[in-house]
Amino acid sequence: MSDDTVSIEVDGQLLSARRGAMLIEVTDAAGISIPRFCYHDKLSVAANCRMCLVEVEKAPKPMPACATPVMDGMKVYTNSQRAVQAQRGTMEFLLINHPLDCPICDQGGECELQDVAMGYGHGVSRYADTKRVVFDKDIGPLIATEMTRCIHCTRCVRFGEEIAGLRELGATGRGEDVRIGTYVEKSVVSEMSGNVIDLCPVGALTAKPSRYTARAWELLQHAGIATHDCVGSNLFHHTRDGRVMRVVPRENHAVNEVWLSDRDRFSYEGLYSDARLRQPLLKEAGEWHAVEWETALAAAGSALMAAAPQEMGFLTTSSASLEELYLLQKLARGLGCANVDYRLRQPDCDDQAHDPVMPWLGQNLGDLEHLQAALVVAGNVRKDQPLVAHRLRKAALDGAQVSLLNVRAYEQTFPTLVNDALAPAALLQELAGIAAALLSQGAEVPAQAQEALAKIKPTTRQRKLADSLGSAERATVLLGSGAQLHPGYSVLRQWASVVAAASGSVFGYLPEGGNAAGAWLAGCVPHRGPGGVSADTAGQTAGEMLRTPRRLYFLHGVDPEFDFADPQLAHSGLSGADCVIAVTAFESDALLEHADIILPLALHAEIDATYVNAEGRWQNANAAARPCGKARAGWKILRVLGNRLIDGGFDHNSARAVRGEVQACCESVRLDNSLPLAEALRVPAASRGLLRVAEVPIYAVDALTRHAMALQKTGDALRGAVHMSAAQAEKEKLTAGDTARVTQNGSSAVLLVHIEDSIPNGCVWIPSGVPGSEKLGPACGAVEVFKA
Amino acid sequence: MSTAQQGVELSEHARAEIDAWLQRFPYNQKQSAVLAALREVQHENNGYLTTPLMDAVADYLGMPRIAVYEVGSFYSMFELQPVARHCVAVCTNISCMLTGADTIVAHIEEKLQIKVGESTADGRIFLKPEEECLAACAGGPMMQVDHVYHTDLTIEKVDQILDGLD
Amino acid sequence: MQQITSFIKSFTLFELARGLWLTRGYLFSRKITIRYPEEKTPQSPRFRGLHALRRYPNGEERCIACKLCEAVCPACAITIESEEREDGTRRTTRYDIDLFKCIFCGFCEEACPVDSIVETRLFEYHFEKRGDQIITKQQLLEIGDKYEAQLAADRAADAVYR
Repeated sequence: MSDDTVSIEVDGQLLSARRGAMLIEVTDAAGISIPRFCYHDKLSVAANCRMCLVEVEKAPKPMPACATPVMDGMKVYTNSQRAVQAQRGTMEFLLINHPLDCPICDQGGECELQDVAMGYGHGVSRYADTKRVVFDKDIGPLIATEMTRCIHCTRCVRFGEEIAGLRELGATGRGEDVRIGTYVEKSVVSEMSGNVIDLCPVGALTAKPSRYTARAWELLQHAGIATHDCVGSNLFHHTRDGRVMRVVPRENHAVNEVWLSDRDRFSYEGLYSDARLRQPLLKEAGEWHAVEWETALAAAGSALMAAAPQEMGFLTTSSASLEELYLLQKLARGLGCANVDYRLRQPDCDDQAHDPVMPWLGQNLGDLEHLQAALVVAGNVRKDQPLVAHRLRKAALDGAQVSLLNVRAYEQTFPTLVNDALAPAALLQELAGIAAALLSQGAEVPAQAQEALAKIKPTTRQRKLADSLGSAERATVLLGSGAQLHPGYSVLRQWASVVAAASGSVFGYLPEGGNAAGAWLAGCVPHRGPGGVSADTAGQTAGEMLRTPRRLYFLHGVDPEFDFADPQLAHSGLSGADCVIAVTAFESDALLEHADIILPLALHAEIDATYVNAEGRWQNANAAARPCGKARAGWKILRVLGNRLIDGGFDHNSARAVRGEVQACCESVRLDNSLPLAEALRVPAASRGLLRVAEVPIYAVDALTRHAMALQKTGDALRGAVHMSAAQAEKEKLTAGDTARVTQNGSSAVLLVHIEDSIPNGCVWIPSGVPGSEKLGPACGAVEVFKA
Repeated sequence: MSTAQQGVELSEHARAEIDAWLQRFPYNQKQSAVLAALREVQHENNGYLTTPLMDAVADYLGMPRIAVYEVGSFYSMFELQPVARHCVAVCTNISCMLTGADTIVAHIEEKLQIKVGESTADGRIFLKPEEECLAACAGGPMMQVDHVYHTDLTIEKVDQILDGLD
Repeated sequence: MQQITSFIKSFTLFELARGLWLTRGYLFSRKITIRYPEEKTPQSPRFRGLHALRRYPNGEERCIACKLCEAVCPACAITIESEEREDGTRRTTRYDIDLFKCIFCGFCEEACPVDSIVETRLFEYHFEKRGDQIITKQQLLEIGDKYEAQLAADRAADAVYR
């Protein structure tokens, strides 16, 4: 036996265990059940519920299995009279103040306390005095509290401190007066707060949106995939009568561990929004009529046949499934049109010929937590990919130096080396500076970059970042989801890859949406076909299609107001078309204004679909719920259209058949993020005048999230507003709370002014994709702000 | 977790006092000074703590605010509601109880016309609720009046002490 | 021998006489036939007839939408939908019983933690068109309101055995 393992005996069974492991870990692994409430394998040991008391030979009293390290030769009895007596005693104490209101408790039927009480509780309580009552706190629109039920296991408190990185809940008071809560009335603001619902072993913390609507035993569980970020978290849709009632995480240690972000957990509410389209609509002489599918498909088919191939544009988003993306480009290319693109939020595609087969993380998600240094360029990971931020946080707490460079210094939940705000041009200069610092340290820098670097004298911060990346054995440079909004995306990317190459770091992407990787693999970009092969004839990018309006637009899952980085450009482009066919799930005024034919689309929980996450993992899920009204799966709509218009190639009987076809195209795909460089890299000079910078806020990324009511009530659901530093506000003669007229490319909006010192001077930060900013131009660009 | 929103700031004296305590602890364990800091702040604020004051302490020590609330609400020597000038705490733990602490408490309640946990209307005396052992068992029954121990109490002695408070 | 016995019995109409003897006996004994509908059999307080939903004396409906009756129902006759009412309490928005499915086993009544769903002594009812057999929450509450006195008395009578 090696030094690292010890052997113990539990209930007469010989077990070998890692030295230093807690008893409960060993028994759990061996399938021996010990009741517990406060112990959770992802959280620290608190040993405060005392439910896991077991008898250990030679120990004078029962020991808590969660806090007793194994020792060689230890003999443990989990079922002896002494152990059971201790457990029963604990149970009786726990139930003294528990209200036993199981019939109205949402946890009833799946409650750990209920289950354990069945095994260890007495039939009748001996306690005859008054029970304690705790008044509920309102801790936000996502979590309902019923604190009288709380048994003070402190899992939620430890989750906040150890996992979410925000210590918001605490145990105040003492003895009988202990209360779990925020002490002051406030909402919890973590973007992973919903996990406390799963952690809570009783019904003290339950999901507010699904409160009182379903019981655990009525629900059917369907495996699903989250589609809001490039992590592709595994989850379960719990449905009743064909309707998603709630969403809970599905354990997958390689992807989301046991967690789920609030966005993935509560976005299902959007499925049942009043704005959901329930049947096909057709515009005749300016009037909308509800029609049958047959009529609508015939109208769409003849419109597609009538338009000249080069005069069409096919647009979609990165939330669509792999099957839809594939069939969309197949339909477009089958009709002889190569104008197909999903990059609605990326104005700069100059460098697209050098794009990798798909934007890849460059490593596995699990590798992120073992990094020693990381630099995130233009990405607010905490909000964009909460579970990536969680991995980086683990690395940072382990000593890794994590740095972020953004257009705004976003608050993070972990210690950072650098977390600074830089204007778009300054961001490029900063990356060049880091490369220069690396060069001066003797690192190998690609020849194309050296000329530009010769003139640069690195600043202290640049040296610090260069040191951090250069000296680390495992380092990465990640291009965040915000990078695509950058007006010089291709240059930004080149410099980021130069920094990565020079520092020996892994270069990776954190692409937007749930399926950007899938869009590339499916060939839903104008210059690449399925599997990343170059297209024979390159079509127009999304930006080009809108700048030179097409006669016909085919929008698949696109919201004309909020899905584009430049909503005004989208407006003018779509207005110039003769016909707009919209396959989409949600109705909006803008859609009704622009579209001519609307086909209702089924969303992710309602269809069989495949999504590819940033690490290149293909994950598929079957339909969990019944499509809303007459909505149909996107792949079916596209297949029918394909069948009507094109001879052959659209005979798929199932989503699986489509997936198989894409898979065959992708057999020879090798993931590689290395970026061939342009002739000579430039460092653009800073532009003069005021510049708008932006991010797409966490609850505005896609239509489903934007229609999820509870999420839209949280503090993270931003509205259009103009944020600027105090110095900048003074210069513009504005103060917090003023209204300002913001003008961009001739269109303007009146927005509220917020003062935030996290924004660089010379810039105003106006979120993109939210109500209020849809009247404005590009997410990043020149802007004028006047007091209204 | 920005700076204290209500604009309550620690007094210069309080900060000096906290800094002196901070000297005694490792530089990266500032939270060790939280008890001393709260004691000081409570003392300056007429014997009780407010949420903005606890926020200020949290920000000064770089602690999550909720962690300071936890400490403030846990210890019986911190008061979270306004209290009277003089704090009277009669030990009712076992030794004192056996020597008649309950009679003393009953007498004080009768004399001051308040229950434990309440302050007199004139803002003179605050009677602590159910104080636990103050480590003076040999001299029970005992009480603590503004940090001063009075042991071997009798009714007369209690009257004398209480009447002597301004 | 057997043949002879049989011959004599049939010849003397012995079987007939024996049958008539029995008839004669009943002719003079006490009658147990009930002249329904003028007469009715007595009912136990545990009689399981038509369902009702009860209210508390203050008029608040008892049902808390725990759905235990729905879960226990062996015939899947009960359909419940619930939500949070304005005042934050858990209430049903729909409570339907399909009386064609119901087998009147009384499990719903036994499962109910608040004595809300009960079975009354009513057994005389009919439906006139399809769909009528599904009785709604409103109808159930009305039945409950109408027979509350009887229902309360029956529960009280049975309380000692529960």
